[in-house]
Amino acid sequence: MKQYQLSTGEKKFIGSHLLVAILALAVGSLFGPLQAFEHAGWDFYPYLKPFIKSYYQGLTVHGVLNALVWTTFFIMGFLTFNVTFALKRPLKNPTLNKVGFWLMVVGVVAAAIPILANEATVLFTFYPPLKANWAFYVGLTLVVVGSWVEGWGLFMTFAGWRKENPNVRSPFVAFASILTALLWQICTLGVAVEILTMLLPWSLGLIEGVDPQLARTYFWFTGHPLVYFWLLPAYISWYAMLPKQAGNGKMFSDSLARLSFWIFLVLSTPLGFHHQYVDPGVPPVWKFIHSMLTFGVFFPSMMTAFTVVASLEHAGRKQGGKGALAWIGKLNWSDPSVAAQLLAGILFFFGGIGGLTNASYNVNLVLHNTAFIPGHFHLTVATAVTLSFMGISYWLLPYLTGRKLWNPKWAVAQAWTWFIGMIIFSNAMHIVGLLGAPRRVPLGLAPYVPAEWNSRLFQVGVGGAILFVSGALYLTVMLKTALNKEKVTEEVEVPMAEAMQDPALTPDWLDRWAPWIYGSLALIVLVYGPVLFDMIKNIALTSPGFRVW
Amino acid sequence: MAKKDKDDDEFRPTGTIAVLTIFVITLIAIWTTIYMILVGRGSTL
Repeated sequence: MKQYQLSTGEKKFIGSHLLVAILALAVGSLFGPLQAFEHAGWDFYPYLKPFIKSYYQGLTVHGVLNALVWTTFFIMGFLTFNVTFALKRPLKNPTLNKVGFWLMVVGVVAAAIPILANEATVLFTFYPPLKANWAFYVGLTLVVVGSWVEGWGLFMTFAGWRKENPNVRSPFVAFASILTALLWQICTLGVAVEILTMLLPWSLGLIEGVDPQLARTYFWFTGHPLVYFWLLPAYISWYAMLPKQAGNGKMFSDSLARLSFWIFLVLSTPLGFHHQYVDPGVPPVWKFIHSMLTFGVFFPSMMTAFTVVASLEHAGRKQGGKGALAWIGKLNWSDPSVAAQLLAGILFFFGGIGGLTNASYNVNLVLHNTAFIPGHFHLTVATAVTLSFMGISYWLLPYLTGRKLWNPKWAVAQAWTWFIGMIIFSNAMHIVGLLGAPRRVPLGLAPYVPAEWNSRLFQVGVGGAILFVSGALYLTVMLKTALNKEKVTEEVEVPMAEAMQDPALTPDWLDRWAPWIYGSLALIVLVYGPVLFDMIKNIALTSPGFRVW
Repeated sequence: MAKKDKDDDEFRPTGTIAVLTIFVITLIAIWTTIYMILVGRGSTL
């Protein structure tokens, strides 16, 4: 059966998201290895003056471009593709989505100018009292608002489909994409309030001081579900696309997949205090409640692990795989899209373990603000998410452009070098963190580094070098593919795995939105409301701003 | 409607159970290691 056809205009629109995302990754990734090299004692920052004035400016460029811009643009493009392709219909109001996209672009430019001018060296968490130029906050606001507007366009498209198909089970890929966009709309209320009520007026001189505790609480209202905004699109691919690519497998359970997404929606926002265990201004009982809810997320995470691995096992068995684990070798490892996503999933196992230790109220005291934390999130956002997105782009770019993927063997090598580089880098960061090395510190300059850290810091540099090579390979493959004169002979098949059981048999309550949305909002009000009410009632806009780099 | 294969009915995810068992054992081992570091640093950390 011939697959649904996107128009050339739609392909270009989605491709525009990929273009901005990959450009951001290209610039941001230049600075990642510089951080790693600095830790190893190979400091290249003095050679970058006057363009880049400090380690912290480089760290800000790396964090903002890679963690915020690369991810947000790729995700909005991927969600747009998923909704239109899976619902087999164009966007209801494409102009609205275009407005959203351009708002995001303007926002990136507005934020980039002060960052490059060293007027916004506040890292990607932009915690006050570190103070940035107002244009940085305006830029971030526009990126968020633009992504909301694009989300509204997706909601309208889904609503139009539902109106015409009242009793039909929504396709999983469209359902999960809409849910991801909805999660983003809810959770970004935190940073929106933070920027609009405090940081922006403060940076414009309208208010004299800021309340750092309240600002951090607003930030983590968004900051943790931001992780799920990154992860859920990768999960969509792992659940519903990867099994097909890996060996013509099927999704093990449509019901389990939907249930896990609903629980992610409900639980991913009201748990931000597990990032603030050492904040003195948050009462311990609320930290405890948030820690319990954090462990609640373990359940949909394990449901995801079970369903995804079972779907892959189904693919492996279909290819003749035997034994308890030998089927893994039968998966389609020669396909770079598959290799990248499988390797991302393997490292995510360890990222999940690190996340659970971070979330443990007592154990977190060993890890908080140590190098363990960047070690952990380089397994999650920089591997589970980024390597998966790279894998997705290995079929999505040829699909959008009609050009053959340039040199698939190089693409496979890229996935493996990322995997190996990240193991070396991240393992060393975890261990040196456990030994007490702080995060967000140019350790190459620190006079207190004991001898036992040195071999690990060297490994951080080696890992960073391998990741740099891998990043360059990715950019080369993308660029060469975009310019490839060799066209695909037939349109690239979009990998959509069927569910083993007919989705029509999935319970109706797993396809109803209102109860889950009301439940999510109610839980947020219950576990954030009293603390936020108290913090706002006692707001102390007393802290002056600091520009220390 | 999705086509149901005979293989689908017979499919038992035994390998998945093995993978997740390894995961849980690794999780317990790593978590316990870090907990022992916490204990080793004393109760007044």
